[in-house]
Formats: sequence, C-alpha cells, structure tokens
Amino acid sequence: MNTFVTETVSILTNAAMLFVVAAGLTLVFGALRLINMAHGSLFMVGALTVASLASGLTGGWGFAVALIAAVGLCAALGAGIEISILRRLHDREPLAQLLATFALVLVAADLAQRVWGTSDRTVATPVAGRFSVGGAVVPEYDLIVIGIAAAVALGLWLLLARTATGWRVRAAVEDPETLSVGGTNLALLRTSVFALGAGLAGLAGAAIAPLESVGPGLDTQIIVAAFIVTVVGGLGSVVGAALGAVVIATVEGLGTLWVPSYASSAGYLVMILVLAVRPWGLFGTPDR
Amino acid sequence: MTVLEEKIPPATARPAPRPAARLLPLLAGAAALALLAAAPYLVTVSAILSLEQVAAFAVFAVAANLLIGQAGLVSFGQGVFFGLGAYTVTLGWEHAGLSFWEGFALAPVLGAAAAALIGLVALRARTLYFALITLAFSQLFYQLVEQNTGFTGGANGVFAPVVPAWMESPVEGYLTLLGIAVAALLALWWLYRSDFGLLLRASRENRARVQALGTNVYRLHLLAFTVSGAFCSLAGAMFVVYNQGSNAELFDWTTSGQAVLMSVIGGMYTFAGPVVGAFVYQFGHDWLVRYVSDWQLVLGGVLLLVVILRPDGLAGALRRPGRLRLSGRLELPSRLRGRK
Repeated sequence: MNTFVTETVSILTNAAMLFVVAAGLTLVFGALRLINMAHGSLFMVGALTVASLASGLTGGWGFAVALIAAVGLCAALGAGIEISILRRLHDREPLAQLLATFALVLVAADLAQRVWGTSDRTVATPVAGRFSVGGAVVPEYDLIVIGIAAAVALGLWLLLARTATGWRVRAAVEDPETLSVGGTNLALLRTSVFALGAGLAGLAGAAIAPLESVGPGLDTQIIVAAFIVTVVGGLGSVVGAALGAVVIATVEGLGTLWVPSYASSAGYLVMILVLAVRPWGLFGTPDR
Repeated sequence: MTVLEEKIPPATARPAPRPAARLLPLLAGAAALALLAAAPYLVTVSAILSLEQVAAFAVFAVAANLLIGQAGLVSFGQGVFFGLGAYTVTLGWEHAGLSFWEGFALAPVLGAAAAALIGLVALRARTLYFALITLAFSQLFYQLVEQNTGFTGGANGVFAPVVPAWMESPVEGYLTLLGIAVAALLALWWLYRSDFGLLLRASRENRARVQALGTNVYRLHLLAFTVSGAFCSLAGAMFVVYNQGSNAELFDWTTSGQAVLMSVIGGMYTFAGPVVGAFVYQFGHDWLVRYVSDWQLVLGGVLLLVVILRPDGLAGALRRPGRLRLSGRLELPSRLRGRK
C-alpha cells in the first residue's frame, strides 16, 4: 500500500509536468500547424529563471512570484519569436518552420549558457511540508504540481470549448480565410496562441525546477519527452496530450520499478507502437 | 493546375546543353578532386583530420538528403544508421573478431536491413509525424546503446585499435576515405539521375499523382529509406577512421540533425549541396571555435538566415550566375514528358 501510494503520486506528478509541456506544444500545433522544437528551450528558460530568482525570493509566495516572472518571460519570448521569425515562414512548407525552430534550439542553448552558465543548479522546495496518506508520506509540493496541471487542463478546456476565442483558434486552421474576412486579426491570434504555448513551457519548467537539477541539456531532454507525449496523444489534441502524459508517465514509472535499465526506452517503444497502429496518434486526425 | 505541371518547363524552354556545357561539371569535378587529393600535402595535420570528417559527413549528408531533398521525407533519425555503421566496425572487431574491412563491408548491409525494418513502421507516418517517429527511433537506439554497457560499452563507447595501422596516419587515412567517399558519391549521383531519383522528386512534388500513375509510393519511399540507411551506415563506418572508435552520441537525434543542417545550409535541392554543407559546417566550426565559444549560436543563426532568405541553400545561391550542372537543382527534366 505504501509503495502503491508513493508510486502513484510520483507517476501523477510526472504526468502533470509532461502534460503542461505537451499542452503548450499541441496547442501551438493546433492553431499554427507547426512543431516548435524550441519548446524545450523555453521550458529550460522557465526553469533557469526560477533558479536564478529563487535565492532572492524564498518561501511559498516568493516562489509564486518567480513562477509568474518565468511564465511572463517565456510568453514574451514566444511572442517575439513568432513575430520576428515564424510569421515570415507561415506560408512555407512545414520543413521550413521545423528547421527555423531547430535553429532556435541551437541559438537558445548557447545564449542560455552565456546568461546562466554551465553548472547545474538546484532550487529549494518552496513548500517543504509532507503529509501521509495510507501510511505513505507524500510531499505537498507534488500535489501543487498536480494542481497546476489540473488548472491548466481546465483553463484550456474552458478557453477552447467555451469561448469565442477558442472557437477562432480552432477555425484558424480549418478556414483561415473566412475567419479573416469575418474580422478576426489572424496574425494577432497566432502570436497570442504561440505566446500562450511558450508561457505553458515556461510554467512547466518553473514548476519542475524544485524537483530536478536545472542546467544545460534540459532543453533537448524535455523536448523529446514532449514530442512523445503529443505524438502518442495526437498532435493538436489537448485531451490527447493529457492521455499521452498519463500513459508515458505510467509506462516510465512502472518501467523504473520493474526493468530499471530499460525505463528510458519504454516511452519511445510506446510511441513507435502507437504510431505503427495509428500513424496520427490516439486523438489526432489523419494527415492530409 | 497542379504543382507538378507548374514545375515542368515547356519542352522548348531548355535547349539541349552544348558539349562544352556538358564538360564543365566534369572538369570542375575533376579539378576539385585533384585539389582534394593534393590537399594532405598542402595543409596542416588538423586540417587533414577535419577533411577526414568531411569525407564521412559528406556521404552521410548526401545519403540523408536523398530522403530530405529528393523524396521530401524529413528524417531526424539517420543518426541511427550512422551510429550502426560505426558500431558494426567496432563491435564486430571486439565481439566477433572481424577485421576493419570485414566490418566495413558489413556496415551498409546491416544499415540497409535496419532501415528496411524501421522504414516499414516509420513510413506509415507522414510529414511531421514521420520526422518525430524517426527522432524517436534515434533516441531509442541511443538509450539502448547507452544502457547495454556490457555489450556496447555504454556511454564510454568503444575505442580500440580497430583501424589498420597504416591508415592511422592522417594522410593515408584521409586518402582512403576520400577514395571511398568519391565512389559512394558517384553511386548516389547515379541514383539521383536514375528513374528512381526522378520518381522520388515527383513524389515530393505531388504524392497523390505519382500514386495515381501506378507507383506504390510507400514502397518507393521504403526503398529510398533503405538505400539511404545503407549509405548512412557506410558513412558511420568511415567515421571510425577519424574517430578511432564509436560512441553512443552518434545515435543521438542531434547527429541526425547535423545531416539535416548540412543539407539545408548547403542546399537540399541539389546533389552537391550537402557536400558543400559538410565542408562549410566542418571548417566553419574549426575556424569559429578559435574566436568564439558560441559555435552553436552562430550555426543556429546561419541556419535561420538560410531558412528565411535562401531556402535553396548555398548551392542554390552558387547556381544563380552560371549553370553548373553539378550544383544545379535536379528538377524534373523535360525528358519526363516524353515518357510513360
């Protein structure tokens, strides 16, 4: 029972973090039809921002401020990237956009090293409390991460399914011309969605900072994980991202328990199996 | 009007090249080859070692570009075959007692076999999904190689005196690699120019139409993926001569990314583009790291500029003034109109 609760909480925490990263990636794909390889770089910037602010801003509220700052910075960076680079490539083939964001990964990795250095940092847990459930001790911070993911899921669902903006985001891919004729500022819409996706990457990075060591290499590590989750769930589907996050976190969590040396390969195997059966992912739509 | 129709020039638009124009690329190629063969006697040892890398990377990039530029299949997984080729040589030596040349001959065979199996699955996915599933294969292999420490040496890789002693001297090693690279590139050039290459380009421009004309595009792409895998694997085996061993990073998606980078910077719609890309990449790196530590920053910046301003890369830019066939875009030639 003890280990069951501990493992479940750790898998859910992992899934929560994966979901927040993947949600941003899939949201951007849904509205702009581009895969942002630099999504992991924004995640890293979020984590590093919190790491450098953490010494000055301690405690729960201090961390909350650092978190908001990280999200704001990443969203602003995202808006800048969309306006200065991706907007120019919007009418080009998907390869051009993929390569442009790949170029940003390289640029961001070196810039981040310039700003934050090459050493790994650790961030003290802002909420040190623990409580016990069924005999197992669970860190409160894990519940906060899960709570953040739940809030993101709810917020995205409300935005996409219940507001006119969400309706426009979905229409931006289906029929951009009609939408544009109807008075929607498509450019602004795309920039906003990209900034929101970037902000989510920053949020996930900031939230994970107290749980992992933060340093160079975090970007490529997380982007591959985020790709797996979004592709398993189906690109463009937020529900798919949630399901994918739970599936991958579970597979990796159980893998760590049962076959420790192959746990890291398990996620890739799941992705390959899913794509072999459904090449567009569980909740995706077939390619045109 | 479909894309395919737009791209085919009218039969009269391109006059038959004059004999002199046919000779020009041959002469240019021969001159470049002579220069490359003389290079080890003209430049420093570190430059020769860089040239060794360029020889392996040129084959790697052109083979990867068979998918990227020709078939329009963006693979972020060619590192799998590059790594496989390198490990075939080193592990064949360590576990099976194969000599360097035995491993070297085996590498493309294993590369082709692995590519056929991976392609069977990966090619079910299209465009961006294809890019990501190949990336997943890259990471899967990377993890497997890194985890199986007992067999593969794990993160440390395999570094052993596998390369024949006479090839360890930079000049001999480089000249051997140059010879192999020229042979491999000639074979690939022949493929690009064959009906097979033509069909690949047609499938890039209009997949549905090629399918409708009676070609099974999935099988066509599987064949291309297999051929590319074989040559990428050969390139990996070549790399062992420079590297004196193999390490797990060769499987990483960033290695696959390098092939994409070289193709795009050099010009992915041309045959010679990726070769140019390999040169620029390697010597750009060697030159820049002397002055700045941020090599990736510059590389990313250059890639960004190329993608935004010159999607046809450096070779495309070179092509503008003259009509060098070797660097000319391999368009659907007008002879297609007379066929089928």
